[in-house]
Amino acid sequence: MQGVTVITVRGLTMQFGAQRALDNLDIAIPPGVTGLVGANGAGKTTLMSIVLGLREATSGTVEVLGMDPKLLGSRIRARVGYAPERNVLPEDMKAVDFVKHLSEVRGLPRDEARNRASDSLWLVGLGEERFRAIGTMSTGQRQRVKLAQAIAADPKLVLLDEPTDGLDPMQRDQMLALIRQINDEFGIDVLLSSHLLEEVERVCDHVVALDAGQLVADGPLADLIGGNEGVELELVEIADRPRSIDDVADALAASGLDVERDGAVLTVVGPDTDVLADATRDAVAEHGARIRRLSSRKRTLEDLFMEQP
Amino acid sequence: MSDEAKILDRGYRSYEGHRSGVGGAIRSVAWHSMRTVLGVGRPARHKIFPAVSVIIAYLPALVFVGIAALLPVDLVGEEALPSYADYVGFIGIAIVLFCGLVAPEVLVRDRRDGMLGLYLSTPLQRDTYLVAKVAAVMTTLMIVTLGPPLLLLIAYTFEGSGPGGVGDWLVLFVRIVASGVAISAVFAAVSLAASSLTDRRAFASVGVILVLLGSSAVASALVEAAEMSTNVRLFDLLAMPFELVQRIYGETGDFPEIETTLVAGANIGWALFGTAVVWFRYRRLAVSR
Repeated sequence: MQGVTVITVRGLTMQFGAQRALDNLDIAIPPGVTGLVGANGAGKTTLMSIVLGLREATSGTVEVLGMDPKLLGSRIRARVGYAPERNVLPEDMKAVDFVKHLSEVRGLPRDEARNRASDSLWLVGLGEERFRAIGTMSTGQRQRVKLAQAIAADPKLVLLDEPTDGLDPMQRDQMLALIRQINDEFGIDVLLSSHLLEEVERVCDHVVALDAGQLVADGPLADLIGGNEGVELELVEIADRPRSIDDVADALAASGLDVERDGAVLTVVGPDTDVLADATRDAVAEHGARIRRLSSRKRTLEDLFMEQP
Repeated sequence: MSDEAKILDRGYRSYEGHRSGVGGAIRSVAWHSMRTVLGVGRPARHKIFPAVSVIIAYLPALVFVGIAALLPVDLVGEEALPSYADYVGFIGIAIVLFCGLVAPEVLVRDRRDGMLGLYLSTPLQRDTYLVAKVAAVMTTLMIVTLGPPLLLLIAYTFEGSGPGGVGDWLVLFVRIVASGVAISAVFAAVSLAASSLTDRRAFASVGVILVLLGSSAVASALVEAAEMSTNVRLFDLLAMPFELVQRIYGETGDFPEIETTLVAGANIGWALFGTAVVWFRYRRLAVSR
């Protein structure tokens, strides 16, 4: 593990009775937006709880912003924002009062907390709605209030637990854009917990994938899903060319591309789309097969999970 | 537009100023909890019950101050006006009702809606969170335990019917403060303990009142019907704080056969016991998010 990290975890194990929620994890989370992905029960929330100091791990060490939560928990938590998955918003409180209160609890003076509460709510798109009681707000607005309270005290790091939960596609797009914005424009590092792989792919620089408490992957997104492009070809042999599919596969392999054959379907992976397209066109034209279906194929985080034993 | 007028480019920005740390977090949570209990910044329905309790606590004081101001003492007689010690007992029902409201609102609400997890993601830890909550409950209870006798003292002093000299005034002031703090501490500890055991505010409120009234009924029955030792009254959670107040004012109280040291010890014991229940409960409470 080298370079600057915002969270470093070494040999982390969390045992609940007979159940091992986290199993000897070694993780280095760099600055930027990091996705913490995994199915429900994978250990994401447990890991977040330990990072926040809400739980103590059975064994192993954690470092957050270069500090040990066991020794400097309060200092760390003053610089870490947190938006929990659960709806924790007091229904009868105005959004601005709620955000201001939590900013004060995180150490800001009252006047500064008031100003920053308004600024944060404007940033997340609730400027006009900031004096509304939270109980009268929609799910999307409540998720924004949670994000606003997490960033209002100017944290160095925010932990967001399923921030798009309950949002419709448009609201989800807006939330993901906001998450990207708080890192790009304000330099706040983000640990985004989500079970939606597609949204992690859209917004994260780095991915930590957990499955049943074990580390499946930890690295830059580009490395994990690979830079290679791919196509899926379904071919039909014509009567006078009985071996045409074999010939196309051989030709593509000879061009240096990875080819997998499953019946009449060829999956071809290459370094970029142009090379792939040219080689495929040439091979099919030369050996006379007919294309029934041609679709692009890109490796995704889902593939990463599917490849696990 | 004057020369000094500026258009400020506000908006989200970084903050490099002072951060108040754990002390500020405790102050903020305590202050917020008090406002919440009293219904400040909340819809009108949340203000009704605290307002009624406060009115019950202060109205007699205002009436007595009015009587003292308008009628000559030799006409109404000094005995018509209750002593400071008696006044606390006089408004006992308001104090008990307020107890049933305050601790459940302060403690249960956070567990029920998940705010506890959010608070523990700030500089607060379980212990410091509880310090904030105890401070909030005690301070709020002092509105009804300390406020009315202080009001009486100040009003009587301005009317010329207060204590004779500066020394007497100070002694009485210390007694008022000590009795207000003592009664608030015991009731705060007991009501917080009851509130730490359930996630339902209504159950907690009923529980607080039942613990206070039930212990009183059981202790009375054991002493009067079963003719057990008078010291069984030490388990009377409702009467003992008021008995301590009587002793602080130098009066014999309702149970003169019980020594003052035992009364004081029982109250300290109940305060510590209640605090220990809350502390253990929160140490074991699972807070994951």
